[in-house]
Amino acid sequence: MNRLKAIAEGQKVESVIQDEVLARDPILQIQNFSLYYGRKQALYNISMPIAKGMVTALVGPSGCGKSTLLRSVNRMNDLIDSVSIEGDMLLSGDSIFDPGVDVIQLRKRMGMVFQKPNPFPMSIFENVVYPLRIDGERDKTRLMQVCEHSLRGAALWDEAKDRLQESGLSLSGGQQQRLCIARAIASDPEVLLLDEPCSALDPIATGKIEDLIEQLSGDYSILIVTHNMQQASRISDHTAFMYLGRLVEMAETSLIFTRPKLQETEDYITGRFG
Amino acid sequence: MVWLTGGMFVVACLMIISLLALVLYQGLSTLWPRPFLLLSTSSDELIAGELQSWQNYRLSRQNVGELDPASQVQAEQLLNGAAQVNAKRMYLRTGNYEVTNRHFVFVPDLSITSKKPIEPENVWLLERREWGNLYGFPKSLSWTDARETDVVPLVRDAMRDAARVSSALEHQKDLLERTDRRLADSRIAVRQVELNERIDLQAVAEQAIQDALAPSADASSVAAGSTALEGLSVRARRAIERLIEETKASSELQITINEEIAKLEAERNARSVVMQLPIPEAAQPISVSWSELVQGGGSASDELKNAIGLGDVSDTIEIHARPLQDRQAILELRWQNQPPLMLWGTANADGTTSVSRLREHTVLIADIVRLVEPNRLSMIGKAGVYASRWGEFLFGQPREAGVEGGFFPAIWGTIVMTLVMSLAVMPFGVLAALYMREYAKGGWLLSIIRISINNLAGVPSIVYGVFGLSFFCYTIGGFIDGGPVKAGFNPWPSAVWFSALAALAVLGLIAFVISILGNQAGQRDSSMRRWIGFLSGLLWLACLVGIALLVVKTPFFHGFFEAQLPNPTFGKGCLLWAACTLALLTLPVVIVATEEALAAVPNSLREGSYACGAGKWQTIHRIVLPYARPGIITGFILAMARGAGEVAPMMLVGAIPLATELPLDFEFPFLHGSRSFMHLGFQIYSLGFQSQNSEAAKPMVFTATLLLLTIVTLLNQTAIWLRARLRKRFQTSQF
Repeated sequence: MNRLKAIAEGQKVESVIQDEVLARDPILQIQNFSLYYGRKQALYNISMPIAKGMVTALVGPSGCGKSTLLRSVNRMNDLIDSVSIEGDMLLSGDSIFDPGVDVIQLRKRMGMVFQKPNPFPMSIFENVVYPLRIDGERDKTRLMQVCEHSLRGAALWDEAKDRLQESGLSLSGGQQQRLCIARAIASDPEVLLLDEPCSALDPIATGKIEDLIEQLSGDYSILIVTHNMQQASRISDHTAFMYLGRLVEMAETSLIFTRPKLQETEDYITGRFG
Repeated sequence: MVWLTGGMFVVACLMIISLLALVLYQGLSTLWPRPFLLLSTSSDELIAGELQSWQNYRLSRQNVGELDPASQVQAEQLLNGAAQVNAKRMYLRTGNYEVTNRHFVFVPDLSITSKKPIEPENVWLLERREWGNLYGFPKSLSWTDARETDVVPLVRDAMRDAARVSSALEHQKDLLERTDRRLADSRIAVRQVELNERIDLQAVAEQAIQDALAPSADASSVAAGSTALEGLSVRARRAIERLIEETKASSELQITINEEIAKLEAERNARSVVMQLPIPEAAQPISVSWSELVQGGGSASDELKNAIGLGDVSDTIEIHARPLQDRQAILELRWQNQPPLMLWGTANADGTTSVSRLREHTVLIADIVRLVEPNRLSMIGKAGVYASRWGEFLFGQPREAGVEGGFFPAIWGTIVMTLVMSLAVMPFGVLAALYMREYAKGGWLLSIIRISINNLAGVPSIVYGVFGLSFFCYTIGGFIDGGPVKAGFNPWPSAVWFSALAALAVLGLIAFVISILGNQAGQRDSSMRRWIGFLSGLLWLACLVGIALLVVKTPFFHGFFEAQLPNPTFGKGCLLWAACTLALLTLPVVIVATEEALAAVPNSLREGSYACGAGKWQTIHRIVLPYARPGIITGFILAMARGAGEVAPMMLVGAIPLATELPLDFEFPFLHGSRSFMHLGFQIYSLGFQSQNSEAAKPMVFTATLLLLTIVTLLNQTAIWLRARLRKRFQTSQF
C-alpha cells in the first residue's frame, strides 16, 4: 500500500512495466505525458506503449485519469479551453501534439466509442458512413460497401440490413453501441479508443460487445477504458493500472490478474481496495 | 392555500374564457342576418330597423328629460322615486344614412307602444358600395314595366349585368391610370436628366410639348421644336422625345378612354330601383273612418286614391292593413301585378284618418353589392347570406372606408409583411445564436450581450416603432431616396472625402497585417495572441465605422429616387421598413429560442462527430442544426405570431387605414417594398377608435379581432404541433 500512499501524498513513483509489453511493436507510444486542467494536474508523466493489433485495457478507480488519457489520444481534450499538456504521444511514429499537426486528419486515423451510445439523429446507413460523408464521398456503391463491411465488422449487419434507412435512434441500446463501433471502424482507423463502452448496457448487450471486441482485436489496435475487472481480464491482452493520474503497473493481462509484481495492483484487482 | 391558488386559477380561467367568448360571439354573430322590425313609439313615430340586440341600461333621473312626454310618465312610474333603475332598450340598425344621418338607434322599452313589432315580408336590405345599408320596400324598376309582384330575380339579373359593366369600367380606369403613370414616369426621367446634368429643361420641354400638341403641327414648328433640342445631350434629347411621345399618346388615349368611360357610366347609371324607405312623408287627412280602413280589407276609395296621388289608377286597389297599435297601422296597397305601395296610417282624435306615403329613394343597381330579404329568409337562406358575407369579408375589398365589405387587403398586408419580416429575421437570428452558442468563448462580454438581448424582448414595441421611423424610414430611406443630404448628413467636400478614403485604406492594411502577425505569433505565446487578437479586432471595428462614415458622408451620391422628390419613395413608412422594424422586434425571440435549441443538443453528439474527424462547421451543419431544427422552427413561428399581432410600431412605420394597392401583386416587380399597406391589427384600432362613425364599425372590429386571434392561434398551434412531431423523430428508443 505504501506506493499508493506515496502517490496520494504527491511523491513521484516509478511505474512498473513488464518487459514483454515493452518488447511488443507499439502502434501508439505515450511519452512522459502530463495534463493539466487549468492549475490542477490530472495526469503525471505517463509513459506506456500500446501494442499493435492487441487490446490494451486501462483500469483504475474512478477519477484516476483513464478517460482523460484516452481522450488525449485523439485530442478530444482540445475542446476544453483550460487544458494544457506536457510531453507527447506518437501514433505510428507521428507526433500527436506537435503544433503543426492537423487535428482533423489525426482524428480520422482513430475511431472512438463513448460511454453512452451516441448515434446521430439520421438513418443507420448515414450513421455508419458519416466519416466518409464528411470527406465528401458521394459514390453510392463505395458507401454501401463500407457500410456493409463496417456493420459486419460490428456484428450488426444481420440485424440492421433490412432497415438501413430507419433512424439510428430506433435501435436498442446495445445495437446503438454496436452502430457507434461500426461508425468508428468505417474509416479503417489505426487505433480504436473505447471509453467504457459497456457501462450503459445490460449484461446481454455487454456480452455481445465483448465478443465483438475479441473479434476486432488483431485487425485493430484497441485501447479500452473499463471499470469492470472481469471484462478487462476477459477481453484484453495487456492491462494498465492507473491511480490518481499515474500509471502504477502495466503487464500482460494473464500476468496482472494472476501474479502482479506489485502488491497494490493485486489488492485493487481482487477488490481489497478501490 | 388550496382555496387561494384554486380560486386564482378559476379567476384566470374565467377571464380568458369570457374574453374568448365575447370575441367569438360578437365576431361570429356580426355577419348573421337578423329580422327587420317596424314599431311605433309613444311619440307616434315609426321606427324601423334590423334588430341587433336587446340591451340593459341604467335609466336615471337625469336622462328622463330626453324622452318624449308619454314615455316620461312611464319612466317616472318605473323610477318610483329611485335615482336610477335598470331598464331595457332595443338596439336597431336603421341604415338609410344619407336620409336619416344615423346608422343606429336605441329605442327604450318603455316608449315602444306597438303591441307586437311587425316583420314585413317584402322589406329589402340593400348592401351598397357607398352609404352603407339601405332598408326599404321595392316600388319600381327604372328599366322595365314588367308587372310582377316579385321583382327580386329581375334585380339580381340586373346586378349581374351591372357587375360586368363595372368591371369594364374598372378596366378603362386602370388603363387611364396606367397612361398617367407612364406620363409621370417620363416626366421623372426628364427631371433625372436635369439633376444629372445640372441643366434646366423645363422651358424646352414645355415648348416641345406645346408644339407637338398644337393642332396645326406643320413642318416648320416641328423643326423649330427640334432646333430647341439641339445642343442638348443625347440622353436629355431622348428623355424629352419620350416625354413628347407619352404626352401625345396619353392625350389621344385619354379622349378614347374618356368616351368609353362616359358610355359605360351612362349604361351603369341607366338602371336603378326606386325604394320606399320606412320614413312617412307629410300626412294627408281623409274622411274614411279608421275602423273601416283597418278592418275592412277592402279596396281603396277614390278619396284615398286622390290623397296619395293614385287618382289615375282605374283598377281596384286592395288594402291590407297591419296595425302596429290601436291608432297606427302600415297599409299595403296592391293592384295589378306590381310591388305593393306602402302607406303609414294614423287615426286622428276627431275620428278622421291621415295617410302618408313613404319617402322614395332611387338606388343605382350598380351600387348594390348584395340584396337580402331579411324577413323572408329561411334558416338555410340566412346561412347562405352569412357565408356570402364571410366570403366578402375574407376576400373582398373594403367599402365605406373599411366599415363595410372586405378585409382582404388587410389580411394580405399582414401576411406579406409577416413573411418579409421572417425572411429578414431568420438568417440574422439563427446566425447570431449560432455564433453565441457554438463559436464564442464564454466571458463577461457574452453574458452582457445575452442579458441585453433578453431585455430587448421586454422593450415596449412602440419604442421599436419610433426607432424604425427615425432610423429606417428617415435615415436609411432618406439616404436611398436623396442621398446624404436628404438623410440629414452633411457630405464632405470631395478632397476631404478622398483623403479619408486613403486613411481608411491604410487602416485596413494595418489591421490585415496585424491579424496575420497575430495568427503566427499565437502559435507560441497565448497571452500575446490574445492581445494581438484584441488589437486587430479593434482595428477592424474602426475600419467598419470608417466605411460607414464614408458611405454616409459621400458627396457623390444623390439617391436613387432624387427625381421623385419631394415625394418620398422609401423615405416614409412602407412595407420594407415595417418588416425590418418587426424583424428587430422579434429578433430576441428568435435568438433566445435558437440558443435554447442549440443548448439542448447533447454534447455527446458533437463529440461523436469530432471523433469521426469532422470539422466545426461540418459538425454544426450535419449534426447540431438538424437536431436543433424543431426548436429553431418553433421560435421562428412564435416570432411570426408575435409580429403578426403587433400594432403599435405598425402605426408609425407603414400601416395605413386604406390602401389602394397591395404590397404583393401581379405587377412587376411583384413585391413592392416601398408601398404602404393595410394591417389587421392596425385596422382594428383605426376602425374602432379613429373612424368617423365608430358605432357602425364596432361589429366589424370584433370580426377583425376574431380573425386576427384566429391567425395568431393557428400560427402558435402550428408551432406546437411541429415541435411535437419533430421531437418524436429524435426521441431515443428505450434501452
